[in-house]
Amino acid sequence: MTVRRGVAHLALLAALLALPSMLGSFSVYILDLALVYVILSLGLSMALGYAGQVNLAQAACFGMGSYTLAILTLKTGIGYWGAFPLSIVGGGLLGLVVAIPSLRVQSHYLGIVTLGLALSFTAILTNWPLTGAAIGLPGIPGPTFPGANFADSSAYYYLLLVVVVVLFALATLMMTTSVGRRFKALRDDSVAAAHSGVEVPLYRIIAFVLAGAYAGVAGALYAGMVHYVSPDTYSLTIMFLLLAMVIMGGRDSLYGAALGAVVLIIVRQEFVSLQQYEQVGYGSLIVLMVVFAPSGLAGLVTSAWTRLLKLAGTAHGPSRIRTLAEGSVDGLGVDARAAALAPAPVAHAPVTDGAPILRIVDVTKRFRGLVALDRVTIDLFPGTIHGIVGPNGSGKTTLFNIITGVYAPSAGSVQLRGTRVSGRRAYRVARQGVARTFQGVRLFHSLTVRENVMVALDASRPRSIWRYALAPWLVLVAERELRRGADRHLARYGLASVADFLGTNLPYGQQRLVEIARAMAARPSILLLDEPAAGLNSHEMRDLAGLIRHIRQAGTTVLLIEHNMGLVMSLCERVTVLASGSVLADGKPDAIARDPRVIEAYLGVSAESAIEKSFA
Amino acid sequence: MTQFLQTAVGGLSIGTVYALVALGFSIVFRTMGLVNFGHGDILMVGAFLTATFFTSWHLPFPVAIVLAVMVAAVMGFGFERILRPLERSDLNLMLIGTIGFGIALEGVAQLIWGSIGTAVPTPIANTPLHVGGVIISPYDLLVLAAATFVMAALYVFLNRTKAGIAMQAAAMDYDAATAVGINVSRCNGRAFAIGAGLAAIAGGLVGPLVYVQVSMGSSIGIRGFAAAILGGFGNIPGAIVGGLVFGLIEEFAQGSSYGAYTDVITFVAFTLVIMIRPTGLLGEQTVARP
Amino acid sequence: MRTIRFGHRSRRRRALAAGSAVVLSLAVGTGVGTAQPKATKLPPAKTFNVALIGSDSGTNADLGTWDYQGTTLAAAYINSHPSAFHNVHIKITKFDDQGDPTTAANLAQEVASGHYDLVYGSSLSTDTLAMMPVLSAAHIPEVTSGQSNAILAQGDGYVFLNSAPSSIYDATLAKYAFDKLGDSRVAMLTNNDSYGASEHTAMLANLTARGLTPTDDEVVVPTATDMTGALSLIAKANPKVLFLGMEEVQSGLAVKQARALGIKAVILEGAPAATPIYVQTAGLSNVVGTIVSSPYLSNTLNAQTKAFAAAYMKAFGVAPELHGAKAYDGMMIVATALNMLKGKWTGPTLAAAMHRVKYTGLTGKFVFDSRGLGLHATQIAVINNKGALVIPKNAVSRPSK
Repeated sequence: MTVRRGVAHLALLAALLALPSMLGSFSVYILDLALVYVILSLGLSMALGYAGQVNLAQAACFGMGSYTLAILTLKTGIGYWGAFPLSIVGGGLLGLVVAIPSLRVQSHYLGIVTLGLALSFTAILTNWPLTGAAIGLPGIPGPTFPGANFADSSAYYYLLLVVVVVLFALATLMMTTSVGRRFKALRDDSVAAAHSGVEVPLYRIIAFVLAGAYAGVAGALYAGMVHYVSPDTYSLTIMFLLLAMVIMGGRDSLYGAALGAVVLIIVRQEFVSLQQYEQVGYGSLIVLMVVFAPSGLAGLVTSAWTRLLKLAGTAHGPSRIRTLAEGSVDGLGVDARAAALAPAPVAHAPVTDGAPILRIVDVTKRFRGLVALDRVTIDLFPGTIHGIVGPNGSGKTTLFNIITGVYAPSAGSVQLRGTRVSGRRAYRVARQGVARTFQGVRLFHSLTVRENVMVALDASRPRSIWRYALAPWLVLVAERELRRGADRHLARYGLASVADFLGTNLPYGQQRLVEIARAMAARPSILLLDEPAAGLNSHEMRDLAGLIRHIRQAGTTVLLIEHNMGLVMSLCERVTVLASGSVLADGKPDAIARDPRVIEAYLGVSAESAIEKSFA
Repeated sequence: MTQFLQTAVGGLSIGTVYALVALGFSIVFRTMGLVNFGHGDILMVGAFLTATFFTSWHLPFPVAIVLAVMVAAVMGFGFERILRPLERSDLNLMLIGTIGFGIALEGVAQLIWGSIGTAVPTPIANTPLHVGGVIISPYDLLVLAAATFVMAALYVFLNRTKAGIAMQAAAMDYDAATAVGINVSRCNGRAFAIGAGLAAIAGGLVGPLVYVQVSMGSSIGIRGFAAAILGGFGNIPGAIVGGLVFGLIEEFAQGSSYGAYTDVITFVAFTLVIMIRPTGLLGEQTVARP
Repeated sequence: MRTIRFGHRSRRRRALAAGSAVVLSLAVGTGVGTAQPKATKLPPAKTFNVALIGSDSGTNADLGTWDYQGTTLAAAYINSHPSAFHNVHIKITKFDDQGDPTTAANLAQEVASGHYDLVYGSSLSTDTLAMMPVLSAAHIPEVTSGQSNAILAQGDGYVFLNSAPSSIYDATLAKYAFDKLGDSRVAMLTNNDSYGASEHTAMLANLTARGLTPTDDEVVVPTATDMTGALSLIAKANPKVLFLGMEEVQSGLAVKQARALGIKAVILEGAPAATPIYVQTAGLSNVVGTIVSSPYLSNTLNAQTKAFAAAYMKAFGVAPELHGAKAYDGMMIVATALNMLKGKWTGPTLAAAMHRVKYTGLTGKFVFDSRGLGLHATQIAVINNKGALVIPKNAVSRPSK
């Protein structure tokens, strides 16, 4: 497979090298243009496709790159190559500015805000004397290189090709390792990503800065090619064209993004013969592509390739993601391996002196006047399995959200080993050894089981991102280590055979197991399980109980929300009962079970809710 | 003070148009979960239709607008069929899909009406009124009155008629609405038709204020969308508030000594408001995802 | 939203191409008239390829149309008089740059790699600036009606303005309105695109030179359709003259809105006010009395313009205006230069010949300097109550109070 891929790459590269000699100078110029757009498209693909950030300011960052180059070369005499790196920085900096709103808003809100900021940028270009105002800046010098005449579009083609190959390789490296996996994780589910220790806000910013820096490169190269910049060049039209390139190319594929750029530039050139029908043709093409091929050109190519291989009799397609149809999975699969199951020892030394590992002190949470939690105080002792029960709406999940940093408490505090953690961001709490699962399973749906675990297992920090540019081999070494670690971890949970499956393709029970495995990957000292038995059959539930005991034996303290009283009574050393946001009772399970207030309040309401459920 | 009032009058006048556009965005979004970036281009079509009926066919202005709205609404049903696969889909697909739809619409409009565009004369005698030192253009009052009427009619439709209530229900809970026998896809068609009709009214009313041409939809469309977000996306009163506030910000920016930087002031202010209140001034009303 | 496009688009108006034997019985300019060879034996036919690059869609589509009509009319004349032009046939290929400099740069590349002898266009300064480096590297002369001084500053020996830059338009306006009429309460409303900005600079310089300051100086964005904010500030200062520096549609809107706000000032403007679109957008009653500075005032000015207007009307069914006349002159200047070269040209020789051309056309006397500036004066006219431009005797008719 890798050999075949290598050969394909070499063939592609040879074709790209030979191309200018077969074409006329205008065609080569169109290719040059296409390559500039490939760089822009790759950048946007990382932010929009991989990280899911609706970034409509890529054309503005493109402009930033061009203008930085223009101003520096024209006003300081620094020369093209001197200004080039600063143009990249310029593009990245504008990306950083545009990224700020992404910390507060997402989705279509982020779209219109970034669009507005892009319009603001153009308005500044149109008015500022330094940028030549509406007239722009003519007379920008092009790049120079001994022995090369870059005024010739073929020579410029090779320069662009070198840059594109380097940037494509860099983007591929990033998107197939730690950065890309985290991008996809935060795109699929930013909350689950944060609880897996991903610095969500930071990675959103990284996505914008990366896109901006790529746009900066493209801008500098474009300015050196056309020798003139004006505000109109970096308009919404270009932004929408870029968007079409990325979406029509295929959002999850860098090849798709590159292909989209080349195809759209050429298609639009060909559409010229449609004359006045050109715009209708262009618009309709986009609509048709989006409606009939939502996975883009990359998707079309992949499915065509798979069909071709099937015809040729090859068993597997090029996708390394397997689907259920190809493998067989029986049940939860834990039962047989439960004995062998031994979670790795915790990274944080277990506290053995009887002091609580986690203290929830007088926590109150109000939502617009509605009191969800009212002065809740719970101590969690190391090495215990602690149950939290209570009727629906009693505040159990809110409590989990406060412990893990989703919400800050309105009053009171949460202390982890004596240190206040409430009010900290979710990823920080996760990094301090508090892991969780969710009421409904929240796996990263575009990641395989192994990758889901790798996200949580990945200990590299954003600051080590310099390695991608300066020491890519270190990234590859770390990636291999991480992959091995994930496989070892999955083997402990009996999930080795499904490591290459998309998590969301697994049966429900196994998805739960994957979620627990992911939560345990970072070796947390506390594991919060939110209704882990919901939707499991009795056989699976028994497996689950065994698994939870093993987790505790290996040194992780477990806090468990559960409706199934049988499970709670058999598993937990200590139980807290919540009702209407306050602690109704707290103690050993048998004492709780006999508490008349609990029986009345809990069973009464629970019976009602059971009736409600049957009618829903 | 007079100056302040004068600017405020101007802001409310253009704000009314933004409010109509924002309403169109919101009603489509809340009912069917579609963010339609081609909305501005439907407005452009409405403006051209009105201009044709009014200046070429010499129909009275109100008749021209009503006709344009009817044509746009019928087209709206058709557009909904085209864009149906995008409803409640991934935002990125919706974004580029509806932008592509808008580009195609512009292309068709250019084939029909040409690329040069047309000027629409003001339909009423436009002798300015002087009210306490503030100069008010009668046509602005007409726009304000028409928009108020449309908004009131929309309110009555949504809250007092069976079809409107069904649409509200479909917006609030897709599953429940389906369960009680509401034909959700018919609601979607109606919502889109209403959205298109609102765009046509906005286009028709704005025609005499601007120059009607193929590319007019983009600028008004973006501002109308921003207004919808500003007020709270999918929120009907929010769309009106958002439109007026956006118009005021823009007009005051333009009337300040940094008029050339109007876009910068307007959109940076917009960004700040959204960062402080991420769900808009009156809060978002999203569709319940099925 | 504008979309970028590559390539050309032939206009729907093919009427002209069909009836291309439009014979203009007018004496076009001294250059052509005197250079007419007497010999009846024609040299072998040669095709002179012109790429007409201009905005054929978008906000400035009107400019593209006028450029097309003016140049085609000139080409039809030249082609139907082979003996007068050394049997050179002009072939015009139209390209739509959408008013977008990126597209213009791409088109320049396409033209440079093809067999084109001349580029006509674009009317937009930014598009012209985008094309200049490519065209001068390919030694293709470019005739443009862009009006920005930045074009002249970049003047590369291959660019020729068939229009005057803003500084000349506005100097003429200032001389008439301030010196002759003595108006001193002047407000300015300009937009900030390339045209508006250069008008702003030029008019402000004229005011400053006379020790005047505008009562109000408002700048709006070119996309602004509602300018009440800026106009109400202007209204407060109660100026006698309002100078506009924006394209024809926006100018028309500004005047319409100014009148709705009760501003009665006389409008002062350059070329945009000389177009029918300005009058149409604003409404005739609002523009009566507008003082216009333009090199082409009237279709009935003299025999030359009358003949031009008649032929234009016959070919396109509309009366010509400034831009069509400029385009016609532009092509005739090129024809004059070709005659000077006896119908044998290369890019550099054609450019050099154009620098030596002395030509009097519809819009005035052309003598090109090294930067490419050819037209050195404009004239004053006033819009009358029929929407036509008339040359004022001494007084100006103002809108009734």
